[in-house]
Amino acid sequence: MAIRRAVIGLATAVGGGAAVVALTGMVLHENGPNTAPLSAAVRGTAQTSQGPMPHAFLTLATYPDSMAGEHGKSGGAHPDWVSYGPSSSLRVPAHALVTITINQYDSGGTITNPFFAQARGTLGGTMTVNGKSETKTNADAVGHTFTIHAAPTNQDPLFVSVPLPAQDDNAQPAPGSDYPKPIVVQFSFITKGPGEYAWNCEFPCGDGYYAKFGGPMATRGYMSGTFTVV
Amino acid sequence: MSTSQLGDRARGWWQRRETRGIFAIWTVLTIALIAFGFVPSHIMGPPASPTMRAVEDTMTIFTIAAAPVAAIVWAIALYSLLRWRHRGDEIPTQDGPAIRSNGPATTVWLVLSSILCAFLLIWGLAEETAVARPATAANALVINVTGQQWVWTFSYPGQGNVESDQLYLPLNRPVVFHVTSKDVIHSFWIVQMGIKIDANPGESTETSVIPDRLGVFDIRCAELCGLLHADMETSAHVVNADDFARWVNANGGHV
Amino acid sequence: MSEAVVQHGAVARPVGGGAMRRLHLGTALAGGLILGFVAWYLSHHFLADTDDPEASNQVTSITMVGWAIGFMIGIGAFRGPWRWMLGKDQTHEDETFYAGKDQGIGRYFRFTTDHKVVGIQYLVVTMVLLAVGGTLAMMIRTDLITKDSRFLGPQTYNSVVGLHGLVMIIATIIMVTGPFGNFIVPIMIGARDMAFPRLNALSLWLIVAAIPVLLSAGFLGGIPTGWSGYAPLSDQAPPGMDAYLMTIIIFAISSAIAGANITTTILTMRARGMTWNRTPIFVWGTMASVGLAIPAFPMFMSAMVLLGVDRTAGAQFFVASAGGSPWLYANLFWIMGHPEVYVIVIPAVAALMEIAPVFARKPLFNYNAAVLAIVGIVGLSIMVWAHHMYASGWAPDLNGPFMLTTELISIPTGLLFLVVVGTIWRGRVWTTLPMLAVYAMLWNFIIGGITGIYLSDVPADYALHGSMFVTAHFHYTLMGAGLTGAIGALAYWFPKMTGRTLHKRAGFISFWLVQIGFNVTFIGMFAVGLAGQPRRVEHYASLFGVGNFVSTMGAYTIGIGMLVLLYAVVSSWRHGAIAISNPWGSKTLEWTVPNPIPLENFEVLPVVIADPYGYGEGDPALTGVGAGATPVTVGSGPPERTSVGSDGEST
Repeated sequence: MAIRRAVIGLATAVGGGAAVVALTGMVLHENGPNTAPLSAAVRGTAQTSQGPMPHAFLTLATYPDSMAGEHGKSGGAHPDWVSYGPSSSLRVPAHALVTITINQYDSGGTITNPFFAQARGTLGGTMTVNGKSETKTNADAVGHTFTIHAAPTNQDPLFVSVPLPAQDDNAQPAPGSDYPKPIVVQFSFITKGPGEYAWNCEFPCGDGYYAKFGGPMATRGYMSGTFTVV
Repeated sequence: MSTSQLGDRARGWWQRRETRGIFAIWTVLTIALIAFGFVPSHIMGPPASPTMRAVEDTMTIFTIAAAPVAAIVWAIALYSLLRWRHRGDEIPTQDGPAIRSNGPATTVWLVLSSILCAFLLIWGLAEETAVARPATAANALVINVTGQQWVWTFSYPGQGNVESDQLYLPLNRPVVFHVTSKDVIHSFWIVQMGIKIDANPGESTETSVIPDRLGVFDIRCAELCGLLHADMETSAHVVNADDFARWVNANGGHV
Repeated sequence: MSEAVVQHGAVARPVGGGAMRRLHLGTALAGGLILGFVAWYLSHHFLADTDDPEASNQVTSITMVGWAIGFMIGIGAFRGPWRWMLGKDQTHEDETFYAGKDQGIGRYFRFTTDHKVVGIQYLVVTMVLLAVGGTLAMMIRTDLITKDSRFLGPQTYNSVVGLHGLVMIIATIIMVTGPFGNFIVPIMIGARDMAFPRLNALSLWLIVAAIPVLLSAGFLGGIPTGWSGYAPLSDQAPPGMDAYLMTIIIFAISSAIAGANITTTILTMRARGMTWNRTPIFVWGTMASVGLAIPAFPMFMSAMVLLGVDRTAGAQFFVASAGGSPWLYANLFWIMGHPEVYVIVIPAVAALMEIAPVFARKPLFNYNAAVLAIVGIVGLSIMVWAHHMYASGWAPDLNGPFMLTTELISIPTGLLFLVVVGTIWRGRVWTTLPMLAVYAMLWNFIIGGITGIYLSDVPADYALHGSMFVTAHFHYTLMGAGLTGAIGALAYWFPKMTGRTLHKRAGFISFWLVQIGFNVTFIGMFAVGLAGQPRRVEHYASLFGVGNFVSTMGAYTIGIGMLVLLYAVVSSWRHGAIAISNPWGSKTLEWTVPNPIPLENFEVLPVVIADPYGYGEGDPALTGVGAGATPVTVGSGPPERTSVGSDGEST
């Protein structure tokens, strides 16, 4: 009788405790951006300096609010935060030429580190802004940057950073849109082997927070995300 | 007490069963721990600078110095469990010997631990002076390191302000890093070179090293700096002087 | 709750202050929620520009203050001053009622002043906090099970790391001086209660009020800073940071109150004849711990006040571009932070030093050295804080002097080992669960101590600072010595506190699971730290894969072991065999009082004629179980304090 009670009690304590831990884990695991990853579309083969490679395309956008990206039309918890869209979770093929197009709708200002006003890690160190080839942008009129970084040991290093020029502060919404006509920035780079990278914006755009790096900059699903090379 | 009386006491003490037993366990443990002393430096990997070599030597020496102390504590503990253990569910019917204190034991323990402590301090001060030496070298290469949430960038003021997201260092030349931050506190750490200094907003801190092994080494942020702290990593490439010059020129600078 | 402890009887009818007598945890929660809501509504109404981070910080802070005040009103914390102001000071009957006389289990849910009730409340609060912190530890280790599990993601991960740290720091600070310092120490020194029973209850209920505040951080954007809350990252953080700083402010008030109360009790209420040379070592350890907390925590609290002003009013104390300094925060934090680790470890090790003579059946070896070691550690610990800042760049010229003070601590710490080992030497070692904890401490604390010596060395610290090596090191001290000591203390005093015997086999199973799991976890962590894995990273290079997997498996083992301990405690408390008054044959005063312990502990206050370590000293009456098992003469002392009402507050 006593043994039976001990076994039941022990099982209750260990099983119940494990269940509580597992439940906490499930809740915390779900707590975060759960957008479906945006995979680059592969269209044809490109001739590169490293030979023929699949050519993958991704199109992104940067908004002055959160009502057009992955947080839905209502904008989620912080509709007034700046955001990237349509997803913060990006996926591209390995050993491929990747061309990313970003439609920039947001205004901006002076970047803290001019290093990021220059295109880096792209093919030829260039990007096109509204179709015009450039190597850098005015450091006093940056809207955002798209910066893939981190070279965690044992995976191929990948560092790509392009500045997105700012919209004029007085830019009027384009007809039929909530946003002005976008500034279109396009750039290409070659991926190496598979890896898990992070990307984020290096232009301080978390207004109201210390160093403007809080809020949307420090919260998943706005100005940062994952960049998976598969 | 005369010398012969002391000798008798020591001999009597050595005759005791526990003295010999504990001594045997202590010897085995000490040898094992001294052998283990080489494990930390092995895990830390081949050093890429004299600084890291000094750190790894410190780990080894300190482990070896601590080995007999840890061994005596564990030897007595182990022996007591083997030989002095009271088995059963009831309170032991007899108490142990009423030893309140032991002057010689306390004195020896205190003196030994003070000597060890003095050794640690002297070793540490000498080592600290040694690892600070590259900072004063005349031919030192100066590199400005900027930490910001969540990337490192480097610029070479003496090489025409070449900028890079990765660090390139010429072999065997002293390097002085001036480290600062654009926002929160980061910590600049070249793992295999054993140097680390915080990047503070509004302040410039300094560290220095002589890279003495060719290769690619890890730079990590060692101070929690927010969302992507874990991704704040880059590489340090140690190359020959010629390759370094080539790299500088290719990036628009001059040596 | 055990019938063996609870004194059944008719609940006394309220005589005066009827409403005051009906306050309990339920009214406290109601009060907290109501005032919290009112504070939220008003602040939101008048300050509401929620787009502005500063405004949402203001609303969060004001709401939390409202909650805390409402909770304390609801529990009845202010009834004493309130009635005193109305000129209807509490009568002796009121005081006895508030001490929990004849109230059964209900007294554990009230603002009860009896130190034994407060001790049990502290024990339960500690267990709850350990469970929360342990669950969070499981989350951390699950995320790190592989290099890229992304189980939590970086944002949740950082927050979980911060919460785990702070919950565990609070839990470990209170885990010995809370339950045992309150329940055992007054009896151990032959007192009828604490010096200030109402302050005792106040310190406990402040912590209870702070727990929901702390956990709310998880719903307010989290704590991105880790438990150290380094500025200016904390200036940038979401409103979860306000929850963090409010928790610490409340906790600092609580610890100041508890510290004043416990030190006063020990200084002034020791039994006749209990000179400093006859005071049990655990009492010394408790006083050292709470005494050290008295100067330490106000530093943390002032750092939090400055941070709060930064966050709610843009003061920029820690913002370099505005003339502030992040190093100011780091200094304030570590001036608290290093004494704080000794606040945690000293009472735990002192409890084990109290346990060692009982189960080695020998006097404590070199009692004077033990006292001096404790005093030496306390003295040195306030002079070592900047060894946490060797690599910060702040005052590099001070690295040498701080290395000196830090390494000096190894001398008194070494003395503690001498005391324990000398006590075990040629003893009759009775390997009960409390005694196993002594042995576990000898193993873990040596490892924690030696790894601390590496970190005290300036160049080695440059290489290891901020790595997993540091995390493993302080877990070896705080958990390997601290928590192990607390578990030993729980096993040792369980029969006295609950009147029941702790389930032996479950206790042993738990002990081995926890100790083996602990060593596996943190040896794995030492390895990845040496190999270069930073602390507080959500994912890592594949090089660290094996070590992290091993750590995670070890952590799960600890988790299972702690659940077994929980089972042992709960089932023994409910169904365990009734314990006799002195089951271990100990000689300290708490074992002379009967089970269940009367409200005022001693019918007649004892007079002490020797220290409590006279094992093997010839007098057969002083050994074994029974009435004569203590070195005290009872009965010749005048009944100095006859009622719990005659405490310092109301007279």
